[in-house]
Amino acid sequence: MAQIDTGGDNGKGKSHQKKMSIHVDFTPMVDMNMLLITFFMLCTTMIKSQTLQISLPTNEKVEKQEQNKVKQSEAITVILDSELDDNGTPVKNFVYYYEGMPNMAVENGRLAENKMQEIEFMPNDVNGAPQGIRKIFQERNEQVVKKINELKTKWKNNEFDKNDERNDSIYQKLAKEVRNDSTLKRPVVIIKATPNASYESLVTALDEMQINSISRYQIDRISHTDSIMMMELKGVSYGLDDLTAKK
Amino acid sequence: MGKVKIKRKSTLIDMTAMSDVTVLLLTFFMLTSTFLQKEPVTVLTPSSVSEIKVPTANLITVLVAPEGNVFISLAGDKDSTYSSENMRAELLKNVVAEYNRLHPNNAINLTNSEVATFSKTNMFGVKLSELKGWLDLPQEKRDEYLDPSKNPNAGIPIDMNQDLSKPNEFQIWMRAIYNSNNANIISTIKRGNGIAIKADKSTTYSKIQVVMDNLQTMKMNKFSLMTALKSEDE
Repeated sequence: MAQIDTGGDNGKGKSHQKKMSIHVDFTPMVDMNMLLITFFMLCTTMIKSQTLQISLPTNEKVEKQEQNKVKQSEAITVILDSELDDNGTPVKNFVYYYEGMPNMAVENGRLAENKMQEIEFMPNDVNGAPQGIRKIFQERNEQVVKKINELKTKWKNNEFDKNDERNDSIYQKLAKEVRNDSTLKRPVVIIKATPNASYESLVTALDEMQINSISRYQIDRISHTDSIMMMELKGVSYGLDDLTAKK
Repeated sequence: MGKVKIKRKSTLIDMTAMSDVTVLLLTFFMLTSTFLQKEPVTVLTPSSVSEIKVPTANLITVLVAPEGNVFISLAGDKDSTYSSENMRAELLKNVVAEYNRLHPNNAINLTNSEVATFSKTNMFGVKLSELKGWLDLPQEKRDEYLDPSKNPNAGIPIDMNQDLSKPNEFQIWMRAIYNSNNANIISTIKRGNGIAIKADKSTTYSKIQVVMDNLQTMKMNKFSLMTALKSEDE
């Protein structure tokens, strides 16, 4: 296919300089390149995964006195649960929460007061206002969120330093100080996931901690009281024995 | 009436420019790409706003399949002494030694070619008692063996075990990685970006919890979860 026009060889004598037009057909070359590109496109990952770092306490038994109890007024418990289909795959995620300690007073065989409420993970609305559980977190963490937002605007306008990198590191340092500032009113979030809860909701919950600048949170096992409150909320019947069984 | 003359035009198109473009694209893909690593199951990670990138060196990835099977992949140091392949070979020796100490009656003896096969495997998850047989299989059979949809017993055996004197196989593997002489991997584990858990969105928490609990027991309580990026407003 390559067409190298030799200009005709009529045997007019050697002294005549051959005129060659050097048109090379690149079609096969393009074909081959396209194949290679397709190969590389299919075999590569362009997006590198991100990671979310968490640290959990060790499993070692901690002395009772050393365990720092969470102040009632600061605690928010978030419970994650999912509905499973026949194959055991989560199909619908549920989020419940309650503030402070659960009230386990019994009245006529039911809980006198159920503090647990159903809520959802929701993105900000069109105006950028928080919704769902994010709204609760932002209200409870108002002081920190306000300060962080102030820092953020400064960071966006490069007010800390003209240099982008230095601006970034100063912002990160200040933001960390604000998040860990014990003089501010900060909530403690306890994330509890039922065995059925999907991994997605766990990550979303951890993500909300980051979005709402909550520095104190923990992942815990679901307790007996939590499951009773969940049953009460869902309207599932339970025996009075369940209430008194483990306390 | 004169005939309408149809001009004969040559249909040759100059492909030089096209070729230039494709070569450029090819160069771009070749330079930016990192090859997909073969994994027994394809998982769709959940998304988060976290922007910390996954390190490429000194990383242990714990893959949890939706069925609960656990696989480990180990990426070594950039330094050739502790390259991925050397690390894997060393790891295998340590793990086998530990297993033989715990089970003196069914000790495993691996040949050099079996160790070499293992050091070329990116992700692994086999019962130690079946390891030798697995390494002797041809490549395709080995991949098939790891696929949870074809072999429900694939994966490293793991259970809720807090007694480190009787470690389960997952704990044997993880401890052997930690005890390798590569100081860099120890420091990344301590910093919390040396271990990454990778699982599908729809995996239930009970399956993740087993892995987390085991890591906590081994005092590797700082680790990361692999996620995809999303923006803060979503």
